[in-house]
Amino acid sequence: MSKTLYRLHAAPDFASTVPHLALVRLGVPFELAIVDFESGALDTPAYRAINPLGLIPAMETPDGPIFETAAILAYLDERHPGVLGPRPESGARAAYLSWFFFVTNTIHPLTMLLVHPERAAGEAALAAASREVHAQLADRLAQLDRALAANPSLGWPGIGFYLAVMVRWSRLFAAVPGDVIDPSPYPAIRALLAAIEATPEAQVVAQAEGLGSTPFTAP
Amino acid sequence: MYVLHYAPDNASVIVRLFCEEAGLAYRTELVDRSIGVHESAGYRRLNPAGLIPALETPEGPIAETGAILLWLTDRHGLWPEPALKGPFLQWLFFLSNTAHADLRRLFYPAYYAPPGSEAVHHDMAAARMQMHFGLIERALTEHPAIFAPPFALAPYVAALLRWSALYPAGGTGWFALNRWPALLALAVAMDARPATARVALAEGLGARPFSTPVHATPSEGSVL
Repeated sequence: MSKTLYRLHAAPDFASTVPHLALVRLGVPFELAIVDFESGALDTPAYRAINPLGLIPAMETPDGPIFETAAILAYLDERHPGVLGPRPESGARAAYLSWFFFVTNTIHPLTMLLVHPERAAGEAALAAASREVHAQLADRLAQLDRALAANPSLGWPGIGFYLAVMVRWSRLFAAVPGDVIDPSPYPAIRALLAAIEATPEAQVVAQAEGLGSTPFTAP
Repeated sequence: MYVLHYAPDNASVIVRLFCEEAGLAYRTELVDRSIGVHESAGYRRLNPAGLIPALETPEGPIAETGAILLWLTDRHGLWPEPALKGPFLQWLFFLSNTAHADLRRLFYPAYYAPPGSEAVHHDMAAARMQMHFGLIERALTEHPAIFAPPFALAPYVAALLRWSALYPAGGTGWFALNRWPALLALAVAMDARPATARVALAEGLGARPFSTPVHATPSEGSVL
């Protein structure tokens, strides 16, 4: 039996789905530690030692614990180069990193605000905040869609896995039903999501996390 | 030679400081925000999101502060020792995706807060920033080596401290640098560095741009 290299603290259909997809794709030995968040596991000192923010995911590595979905992905990409993104010496690296950060620091926070619009400006302003965030997110997805259409080689798993989970949430979990994201105006994004859904790692993760057979194209 | 598209005291200052600390060859190209250059078609070719900075490289343009820092770190081998790569990436992404993203909420409430809810929005974002600086303070004491120049984290932290003290005008009461001794020490140490003096001169950032910031008085371009 191979030695476990990584331990991913995860919960089904949380942001941990993104590194889960990456670990299966890389084919490295890892184990999942399912976080029982409903019984307060995120607030225990043991979990806070791994992730001081008390959020999912976090990953234990030979170099110590890492939290933040994007940091985990970037770490895996450094340790196992050339699978999640272009190799460090590749000329494609500049464009890849630009859009990877765009997905992680722009699309991700906006998606979280669509799911939790009360975090923008309180319960009283929830509906109006949701509308604002929906408009912003639609605009950002359109920018990304144009970039993917112009440069299809951007669709590396590091960007694709992350985006697939964000788009899934924006369709399923928007707090205001009228503000769900309609993906039809984004053909390049839809094509990328369909390609990811057809991969073995997507099927493995969807099965393990109970995401259904079309988790990204028809969640 | 790299070309850094910049505006004074914008996020480009982080990249500029990093290039100066690491001795990378670059020149700057002003993005004149006062006439909306960042929204022009020409600039959008460098960064479709219309945000500053963008860095032109022999392999094409890079957008996003964190992406530029990571790319330069890789290309020029500006990593801390191998065992600290994980913590370095951890905190680079925390700065970019959590701290910087929340600070933007404070600076640009109109993008996030519906009319009438600005005060609540401000207080929620400020509370998050206080928590974030508390976490960075702890990381600084745990892993001082990754926050030392010439690595990319020091200028990022220093710039976030500077902006928190200055912006938005009239909305900085939540921030008091002396609450976090390690962050204060980083700001003081960064102020004393020759690289900082060169950047401060170029962008009009004053004598102690991180520990005792004053509004920028740049010789070219505009901050907003």
